[in-house]
Amino acid sequence: MFSFQTIIDNFPVLLGAARYTLLISVLGCIEGLILGALICAAALSPKLWLRRCAALYVSFFRGVPLLIQLLAAYYLLPVIGINVPALVAAVLTVGLCAAAYLAEVLRGSLNAIPKGQAEAAAAIGMAPRDVWVRILLPQALKIGLPAIVNELILLVKASSLVTVVGIVEITRMSQSIAAATYRPLEIYLAAAFIYLAINLVIAQAGRILERRLTV
Amino acid sequence: MTNQQTAPASAHLRNVCKFYGPFQALKDVSLDIPPGKVTCLIGPSGSGKSTLLRCINVLEMYDSGEVRIDDQLIGYDSPGGKPMAPRRLREMRREIGMVFQQFNLWPHMTALQNVTEGLERVRGLSRAEAQSRAREALAKVGLADKESNHPSHLSGGQLQRVAIARAIAMEPRIMLFDEPTSALDPELVGEVLGVMKQLAAEGMTMVVVTHEMGFAAHVADRVVFMERGEIVATGSPREVFDAPSDPRLASFLQGYRERNSLDF
Repeated sequence: MFSFQTIIDNFPVLLGAARYTLLISVLGCIEGLILGALICAAALSPKLWLRRCAALYVSFFRGVPLLIQLLAAYYLLPVIGINVPALVAAVLTVGLCAAAYLAEVLRGSLNAIPKGQAEAAAAIGMAPRDVWVRILLPQALKIGLPAIVNELILLVKASSLVTVVGIVEITRMSQSIAAATYRPLEIYLAAAFIYLAINLVIAQAGRILERRLTV
Repeated sequence: MTNQQTAPASAHLRNVCKFYGPFQALKDVSLDIPPGKVTCLIGPSGSGKSTLLRCINVLEMYDSGEVRIDDQLIGYDSPGGKPMAPRRLREMRREIGMVFQQFNLWPHMTALQNVTEGLERVRGLSRAEAQSRAREALAKVGLADKESNHPSHLSGGQLQRVAIARAIAMEPRIMLFDEPTSALDPELVGEVLGVMKQLAAEGMTMVVVTHEMGFAAHVADRVVFMERGEIVATGSPREVFDAPSDPRLASFLQGYRERNSLDF
């Protein structure tokens, strides 16, 4: 028999664990966007060594599974004398990984803007900072938005991997409750529902932003 | 319109060379563009007309020679010296308006914002001042009623007229036109040429790369024919079109007349 009562009883605990999912996702996303923008800038730099560094970064963080990255950060950092709480290591690693993907999304979006857009701005004497802020980034954001939203949704789901360093977020919590109540079906359905709700909010926010950027 | 700040400027090219890798796009080009006159650059595609134009505001950096606006060197600190400081280049570019073949309007801004952007960010005008000057410029190109349209809601001819408004609102002392009608449907060419004729009549210094021989013949004070990175012939429209002295110019014009003849 399917037991709604099990879901109702355990939902508050799962929501409590969702705080960690949200914390890791939100901080990872902010870190990923800022770092991703910097890596993208390096990838488009006229300086060869900066482009090489960006390429190396992207191939490493995109090429190694996040699970391995999390374990490596967790076990490696203390060895080299950096003692940080598991949560900090997890947020940092998730953000570093997201940055690699977001950098590529941004790079692709910027490359999609016709060269004449920046030329027209340069021709009237606009400073490079204004060209970026006023002309290029708004257009890149619009082009890249669907891919950025994809990336953020993937990030929320990937946050379940931080259980390997002992953080009890939604997935880990639902495993514990399922084991204790012998009600895996109900509990995992409830967990799925919470992930879905978070991601629907992100998708909807993306859609609203996209509409506002579209003219 | 007669003080030093807004008086039409002249431009002077001396032995300008430009390479793209091993390909030489400009071969020792020298040309004087007189103030307040219309100079049209004609010639086959790939002849270096656009490259020459883009060297005047240094969207393309020339490799050797000198380009001057009035008597001021642009692009380099000193003849044969280092590239000039970006800030100084930006200051000089404010004096030089440019209109592109592909319009290059900013799609995320309305027609009005496309014009006010430079006035606010580059000229440092207040929003109110910028808007009032932008409305004047849009009215001048006949688009006062389109100020809230985004570029996606304008026709090709209207786009190019907004682009001209964007350039003239900055009060340039010289205007560069890079094939301004080449991307337009034939029936929309006239409205853009009309605005350009009006600018010419006001005494703006204009350098126009064009395939519109009719415009060159009727509006230009001077026509420059280029081929393979060199200036082959130059003269008044009458001299160039009616009595071409150079055989390459004569064959270019004959080809043009054959393509555009009304005998179907």
